[in-house]
Amino acid sequence: MTPDPLNRLVAQLSKLPGIGEKTAQRLAFHILRAPDDYATELVAALQEVKSKVRLCTRCFSLTEGQLCGFCTDPRRDDRVLCVVEGIADLMALEKTREFKGRYHVLHGVLSPLEGIGPEQLRIQELLVRLEDGKVEEVIVATNPDVEGEATALYLMRLLKPMGIRVTRLAQGLPMGGDLEFADQATLARALSGRREL
Amino acid sequence: MLLEQLQIADFRNLHAVNVRPSPHATVVVGANGQGKTSLLEAVYFLCTLRPLRANRLSELVRFGTEQATVAGRFTLGGAEREISVQVAAGLRQAFVDGKKAAKLEDYFGGVSVVAFTPDDLAVVKGGPEVRRAFLDRAVFNRFPAYLREHRAYQRALKSRNRLLKEHAPASYVEAYDEAVARTGARVLVRRRELLDELGPRAVSAVRAISQLPDVGVGYTALHLGAHHPQTEEGLEQALLHALVERLDRDRDRGFTSVGPHADDLQLTLGGRSARAYASQGQGRALVLGWKIAEIENVRAAFGRPPLLLLDDVSSELDPERNAFLMHTVAESRAQVLLTTTDASLVARAAGPDTLWLRVEAGEISEDARLRPARTA
Ligand SMILES: Nc1ncnc2c1ncn2[C@@H]1O[C@H](COP(=O)(O)OP(=O)(O)O)[C@@H](O)[C@H]1O
Ligand SMILES: [Mg+2]
Ligand SMILES: [Zn+2]
Repeated sequence: MTPDPLNRLVAQLSKLPGIGEKTAQRLAFHILRAPDDYATELVAALQEVKSKVRLCTRCFSLTEGQLCGFCTDPRRDDRVLCVVEGIADLMALEKTREFKGRYHVLHGVLSPLEGIGPEQLRIQELLVRLEDGKVEEVIVATNPDVEGEATALYLMRLLKPMGIRVTRLAQGLPMGGDLEFADQATLARALSGRREL
Repeated sequence: MLLEQLQIADFRNLHAVNVRPSPHATVVVGANGQGKTSLLEAVYFLCTLRPLRANRLSELVRFGTEQATVAGRFTLGGAEREISVQVAAGLRQAFVDGKKAAKLEDYFGGVSVVAFTPDDLAVVKGGPEVRRAFLDRAVFNRFPAYLREHRAYQRALKSRNRLLKEHAPASYVEAYDEAVARTGARVLVRRRELLDELGPRAVSAVRAISQLPDVGVGYTALHLGAHHPQTEEGLEQALLHALVERLDRDRDRGFTSVGPHADDLQLTLGGRSARAYASQGQGRALVLGWKIAEIENVRAAFGRPPLLLLDDVSSELDPERNAFLMHTVAESRAQVLLTTTDASLVARAAGPDTLWLRVEAGEISEDARLRPARTA
């Protein structure tokens, strides 16, 4: 019989996405064998991430304060706004170092089959952000799958009448694939070859 | 492409199978209910990830067990690859060389298969859904990306239907109108590309096996109107137009009434609908011609014949047409798995390197005595 505390740790770890029972066990043993500091620091990091990191009140990416670094950086271009599904997509785009505008994170896509409608996403907040007329182009960088495309079309219908140029990342991204997993070269090409919606 | 080795565990009534198929014909002989179709179904599933006859994946798992596995060692373009697929808890997982296949393209690198079963013989007289499935199998064999494209369409369609049922606001439905139109246009283009290639081949194959009046192979796109450009954009626009036009009606009924899911494959004899007027024998000749055309078409496109799976069709065809089919199979030099209740029916497709298998109550064994005297 393995001691209960170990079982509890394995159970918690195996709840993480992509972590099966076996991997969870390996991780647990690793933590158990590591010097005491490691476990202490891991606990502190876990607690801090929960207590200090929250959503930026403007773009809904992650921040420690009120506004995130992308929103406050004065060197970024206010005229171009890139709309992404999630934070992982934002980070993937950011890694290309090609994009110098601002971001807006929807936190999902329109998915009738999963019961996610416009109200569940940060779409209303996006419209409010666009009211001041500073943004000239919105790049819709949702994934090229059915839901991502439908979400892009939905946004296009909302934004076009506001006189905003709406573009979509060029294809060449693996269809049905995730932005998050695309390699940087592909992403950079998709970004520079974006098309009008 | 060559299937060098086939291993099956707990698939349908097959408990444990391990065979090394012949590079040409492998003949599986057994009485009814012994597992002949199950064996071909396993190979078809391995090559396409689509079930040949099951409605639900869970039907494929042997009663009383948890997981079905089919694995094949293939030679593809000189390289050896091991692909396998497992079904458990109603879900399927594919592996390439032991690793989970992330992308379907990795999985299908070069595997192509044409199956011919007695069910196919019923397509001429069956409903449109039977013919659509029949057509889509051929499209998929020719364009592996169609699996993904077709799924995308299915998903868009299901989403729109859900929105219709839930009385979602127009702005939301419109976004999915476009998704349905876009993915639907892709499906239409693929089907048309296939028919452009296959139609003429099917017509001449039917002519070679019968004296049927001129055969026609066409496609009816329901509610789409005759006057739209045949480009993908043109089709998308036409679909979108029809979707918008029919929205009120679709809302009332709670489902989408226009799109490739509602279309039909049109087979005609002497200008008349084969469904309405063809005799059973004429219908079978049509299907046989189509299947032969499929084999030729895959060969022309990929430079090598597909793996052929013929399930007990010989007993359903008259002797002359069966002889023609067996001759075509032998000529094609394709790798083929044939099942039959009577070995003599498929003797013409066999040769000295034929592997003879007996199937009895889900157990498969090699048995050279099955070889009919004529080819020994
Ligand atoms: N999931 C399953 N588990 C066990 N047996 C099954 C399963 N599905 C079908 N069978 C049985 O397998 C047997 C063989 O079927 P089949 O391969 O169609 O036979 P054949 O083609 O030789 O006539 C049938 O008796 C059928 O009832
Ligand atoms: Mg059978
Ligand atoms: Zn921000």
